[in-house]
Amino acid sequence: MLATVDQMKNAMKINDWVSLQESFDKINKQLEKVMRVMESDKAPTVYIKALVMLEDFLAQSLANKDAKKKMSSSNAKALNSMKQKLKKNNKQYEELINKYREHPESEEEPEDEEEEEEEESDDSEIEDPTKLDVSDQEEGSEVDEALDSQESGWKLKMSKKDSLLVKQFRDPKEATWEKVNKWFKEIVAARGRKGTGRYEQVEQLTFLSQVAKTPAQKLEILFSVVSAQFDVNPGLNGHMPVDVWKKCVQNMLVILDILMQYPDIVVSDSVEPDENESEKGPEYAGTIRIWGNLVAFLERIDAEFFKSLQCIDPHTRDYVKRLRDEPIFLVLAQNVQDYFERAGDFRAASKVALRRVELIYYKPQEVYDAMRNRTFMDALVSLIYKYGDERTKARAMLCDIYHHALLDEFSTARDLLLMSHLQDSIQLMDISTQILFNRAMAQLGLCAFRVGLIAEGHGCLSELYSGGRVKELLAQGFSQSRYHEKTPEQERLERRRQMPYHMHINLELLEAVHLICAMLLEVPNMAANTHDAKRRVISKNFRRLLEVSERQTFTGPPENVRDHVMAATRALTKGDHESAFNAIKALDAWKLLRNKDSVLEMLRANIKEEALRTYLFTFSSSYDSLSVDQLNKMFDLSEAQVHSLVSKMMVNEELHASWDQPTRSIIFHEVEYTRLQALAFQFTEKLSVLTESNERALEAKIGGGGLELPMRRRDNQDYAGGATSGAGKWAEGGLSFNQGRQGSSEGRSGYSGRAYGMGQGGGYSRDRAGLVRGAGGYSSRAARGSHMDGSGRMVSLNRGFRS
Amino acid sequence: MAQYDLTPRIAPNLDRHLVFPLLEFLQERQLYPDEEILKAKIELLSKTNMVDYAMDIHKSLYHTEEVPQDMVERRAEVVARLKALEEAAAPLVAFLQNPNAVQELRADKHYNLQMLNDRYQIGPQQIEALYQYAKFQFECGNYSGAADYLYQYRALCTNSERSLSALWGKFAAEILMPNWDTALEELNRLKEIIDSKSFASPMNQVQSRIWLMHWSLYIFFNNDNGRTQIIDLFNQDKYINAIQTSAPHLLRYLATAFIVNKRRRTQFKDFIKVIQQEQHSYKDPITEFLACVYVNYDFDGAQKKMRECEEVILNDPFLGKRVEDGNFSTVPLRDEFLENARLFIFETYCRIHRRIDMGVLAEKLNLNYEEAERWIVNLIRGSKLDAKIDSKSGTVLMEPNHLNVYEQLIDHTKALSGRTYKLVGQVLEHGQTQATR
Repeated sequence: MLATVDQMKNAMKINDWVSLQESFDKINKQLEKVMRVMESDKAPTVYIKALVMLEDFLAQSLANKDAKKKMSSSNAKALNSMKQKLKKNNKQYEELINKYREHPESEEEPEDEEEEEEEESDDSEIEDPTKLDVSDQEEGSEVDEALDSQESGWKLKMSKKDSLLVKQFRDPKEATWEKVNKWFKEIVAARGRKGTGRYEQVEQLTFLSQVAKTPAQKLEILFSVVSAQFDVNPGLNGHMPVDVWKKCVQNMLVILDILMQYPDIVVSDSVEPDENESEKGPEYAGTIRIWGNLVAFLERIDAEFFKSLQCIDPHTRDYVKRLRDEPIFLVLAQNVQDYFERAGDFRAASKVALRRVELIYYKPQEVYDAMRNRTFMDALVSLIYKYGDERTKARAMLCDIYHHALLDEFSTARDLLLMSHLQDSIQLMDISTQILFNRAMAQLGLCAFRVGLIAEGHGCLSELYSGGRVKELLAQGFSQSRYHEKTPEQERLERRRQMPYHMHINLELLEAVHLICAMLLEVPNMAANTHDAKRRVISKNFRRLLEVSERQTFTGPPENVRDHVMAATRALTKGDHESAFNAIKALDAWKLLRNKDSVLEMLRANIKEEALRTYLFTFSSSYDSLSVDQLNKMFDLSEAQVHSLVSKMMVNEELHASWDQPTRSIIFHEVEYTRLQALAFQFTEKLSVLTESNERALEAKIGGGGLELPMRRRDNQDYAGGATSGAGKWAEGGLSFNQGRQGSSEGRSGYSGRAYGMGQGGGYSRDRAGLVRGAGGYSSRAARGSHMDGSGRMVSLNRGFRS
Repeated sequence: MAQYDLTPRIAPNLDRHLVFPLLEFLQERQLYPDEEILKAKIELLSKTNMVDYAMDIHKSLYHTEEVPQDMVERRAEVVARLKALEEAAAPLVAFLQNPNAVQELRADKHYNLQMLNDRYQIGPQQIEALYQYAKFQFECGNYSGAADYLYQYRALCTNSERSLSALWGKFAAEILMPNWDTALEELNRLKEIIDSKSFASPMNQVQSRIWLMHWSLYIFFNNDNGRTQIIDLFNQDKYINAIQTSAPHLLRYLATAFIVNKRRRTQFKDFIKVIQQEQHSYKDPITEFLACVYVNYDFDGAQKKMRECEEVILNDPFLGKRVEDGNFSTVPLRDEFLENARLFIFETYCRIHRRIDMGVLAEKLNLNYEEAERWIVNLIRGSKLDAKIDSKSGTVLMEPNHLNVYEQLIDHTKALSGRTYKLVGQVLEHGQTQATR
């Protein structure tokens, strides 16, 4: 064992890390043996001594930059691995080492003891004590040397350097520009290298910034401080420690102060400043260029803030505390923006403005009033529209839409959305913008519902719900997919996209609104088309839920949102508006609404109307005539309302009836088909489907290229289906019949594959085809899969929207 | 009734000079105090060169003979500038007034320019001067002169920007003269340019369309055929979009045009949707009337709106144009509008009723019983209405019109055989080409 120690010493002398590493491994093995033989749990002092020696040497050589550079690569590699091994190893013997360090001499003195030990250890190799002595002395002096400059041995070389620094600049007056510059360069050069303590670097730089001579130099150093602070957290998933974040913001504020004070200093990241630019003092007349990018820093700070909110558990105090930091950031952002505006750099200002908008847009009026008013948002947004680049503008637009929707300004928000044509291009944007788009759509849907536009609300929301991946689309959690497992990589990416809790849109409310909208549209629709229920489905999702609930043999009292809506649906199909409304009213989610009462009132009116419609559809065949008064009483509606509703149904030929004006009653016409006639109709329908599919088959045969398309089709099958119902619904809503038609005919000409919709009812197979075109475009981009088709749905929705 | 006055919304989209007729009309209708209008007029004139006119208004407004100093100065300035411009453009004007010389011009622009340059020493400066001179003439209120010069300028000008603004100028001048037929030609020319030209930003294009539509109001409501043309223009996709985004008040004119125009039923349905969509951004009695009849089926409401519409029409500078006929003046559009609106109500009403009391009907139509009966009989005779009058109970009975089931079946299957036949043809053809190959 002693021989090995000897070997190590030799290796140290010639700085041969490779052999040193070998001996280290050897000594560890020997130690095991010795311990076993001695049956003691205390490592021999020789070993400890060797460890201490090694460690110091390691520290020394690490600190010695030049030597390190000179080393061969294998040597350097060995050095690094040695460092790690040693660290691990030393942990076990930390106590002993410390003890040894405290009394290196005392250890040395009782040499006999040592020798005894050695002899006791029954090692085969008995060493010459004198030799050992020499080496020990050697080592001791080394240790002393190290101890001289080091306060405590455990901290690695950085602290040594640190103290050197402090020593050098103990008197700040002594510091000259050159000196500071030299140190600064050195520290910056060490950045990113292995073994450079990140915290230490920050500390050193902070210290340097205090002694900096010229404002320009100070700026330069501060920039490095900030970037060093960003380096503190290396991983992409974790976030920057909160205290570092705060310091970082402080530093930014200091930077801004300096910039304000010395308007001659120009910060940009495009110019390569010459070496000694920062030497020029405040008296210097011309402009001084400093490398740096304020926008990037600000964006990074914002990103870190966002990340920290993602990571902190939203139900703890920490979260609230963290949220309180937001105003600081807003102040910072405002200052930066002001600075840029003064400097005339509006592009950068617009980027900063976007960050501010993104912090504000989701806040409801109450919270918002506490901060500022709507005009503030307008000012920011218009700045962005004027100077921002495409992505900035798109994001600002979406935030604006979201915010308008939040304030119940549906028509403004809708117009903004339509005029921006974002729905056409959103699938080409990055995922976080797509999420923002989805969020804006969800909020728009809620807004439409609040102002009583049921069809519009459903149109906005049905797309979100058609895939059962709402959480994922809104980045508010994960949803399990039954069909394919996500790779860890995907999961990590997804995690990084999550919205912080305080920005969430309440999912329960969203689901309630979606289902209620679907119910109000679907129930009368089902009643109107009882003979072929599959024909025109408004909300597939709703239909499926209804089927599930109908299959239950026993229905208990409603518990969750779905149960409530299903209970309401059951009542509504019978035309019982009272109990339908009560079932809906019992939902918990309503208390999240600001103007709960008026919304519920609106809902009641809507339910009454739809109940009337459903009633008429369902039971019209049982009546020959029906007086208005009766209907008034049954549905608690005014006469004008009843008249208007029934008239509408008559004009649209939904109801085969007409008014008898003198008696104020509805006369129903006999238009029931006989069974034979109904069958004949079905037969003709089948025939036309057959013809159509024949034509397509032929087209595929002659036109060629028919094979490729159906393949693509199958890929997009699931959401193409969802999209159809969406588009169809919009058409129903009376907004866009034309557009929908156009879309479908376009699609048809482009689509020459085999008929896909054969079994699906000829009625809308054409419409389905219409959507292939839209879908095909991005099916190839499988990597973006889930989010892509989410937005794809949105896109198809908007085709209807645009009319 | 001032609440339905659109002048403040229309005026910003017009040329200064085009606003005058509107103000004149308002003065006549006395919707606003005279003083305000006179002040507005002075304000309007201050940027033009019609200083004399401004002075007159000033005098009548303040009942003095004094004229403020700046007006006098401005007058001198204008006269001086007119002289200068006249001189600058003189060679070209002289050339153009010489009929023999003008005949030498050919269709080829470059040839003309060359020729002018060579033989008359008329270069680009003179041509530019002509433009300025024309503009100045326009500013002074000499529209016919301006129109002539601009016409000639366009023949010689090579700069497309300039040419476009000259065209706008000519258009305005023709409207103000008023010379409707030529103005219509200019309108179509402008429209072509706007639609075909690629604008720097879509915003500009939309703005141009908006201007064009506003200016065209003068023509369409002063032209016999205008009501069809306005629908043709406004109801184009691009134009209706422009209306929806930037100038929803124009819907009033389009709606009126639709009501007084008996054809165009297919477009009408789409238009109703537009009105429904824009309800939040613009409504006035005329659009509300349509919403009542076609969206809410609220006939009593429609009745009320109809009366309001009458007021609106009388107070609208474009719709309420008067025709002096001997001693009394009439507003032809109003009568037509009311007649058609009545028909609209009746038509929809009948569609959803089986039996209607004649008395109620007469009331709804603003007619007395006898008149109503006559009116209905006429409709029935003209086979516009499938109904019978039950004179004993005093009701109208509508005939239910349901398509026969068998007819429907035939309809469904009619096309099928043709399509299949075609299909077979294609298959055979395909088979043959393959066989020959």
